[in-house]
Amino acid sequence: MDITKALDISARGMDVQTTRLRVIAENLANQDTTGSDPRTEPYRRKTITFATEMDRAAGMPMVKVKKIGVDQSELPRRYDPSHPAADAQGYVRQPNVNAFVEMMDMRSAQRSYNANVSVMQVARGMLTRAIDLLK
Amino acid sequence: MALAPIPISSAAAAQAYRAVDSGAFGAAPTTTGASATDFGGALARALQGAVDTGHTADAQSASAIAGGGNITDVVAAVSKAELALQTTVTIRDRVVQAYQDIMRMPI
Repeated sequence: MDITKALDISARGMDVQTTRLRVIAENLANQDTTGSDPRTEPYRRKTITFATEMDRAAGMPMVKVKKIGVDQSELPRRYDPSHPAADAQGYVRQPNVNAFVEMMDMRSAQRSYNANVSVMQVARGMLTRAIDLLK
Repeated sequence: MALAPIPISSAAAAQAYRAVDSGAFGAAPTTTGASATDFGGALARALQGAVDTGHTADAQSASAIAGGGNITDVVAAVSKAELALQTTVTIRDRVVQAYQDIMRMPI
């Protein structure tokens, strides 16, 4: 039935947004994680991409997490000669995490999650209204 | 605009019920027992479907409480179980009410 399929699709949408929030949490938690010596890399920001894929069990296309990748952008450097990870010039490589970008991503994930919850509520409401016709 | 007069006689009502019985449910009035098309069988199958959906929801909830499951799957499964049971119960009430209406009919 299409209504129950809508419920399943929304549940999957909520699921992938939860995974997205987990990635954002990792990025924010590691925004100060530098290497312990000059040769080790600091934490690199993780990225997440989604894809639509045919779900054979459910028999319909569903959203899923395609890949959790690594942001290969340039690492910012900070002058801190006393740091154990400082190089010969006294610079420490910092993680390429921007807290503001992560905050915006977090808001976006929250909005998408809420949209899926709304679809679920409407689907349930529609079916309940149809059943009420029989009463 | 002239409307056709609605037959308000017990014979017409009985004829209408017979038509519904043989047409809508697809079974001859003489059919008894748990055939594929009688109401008891249909209700039993619908109820079994609702119970199966409920079992799925229970299993999902149990695994979520144990920390293994996914809360969105639980929400979807419980919603589906609730709606399936609601549909079955409403249709049962409706048909039982129709039966009682026929039984109370003054002859």
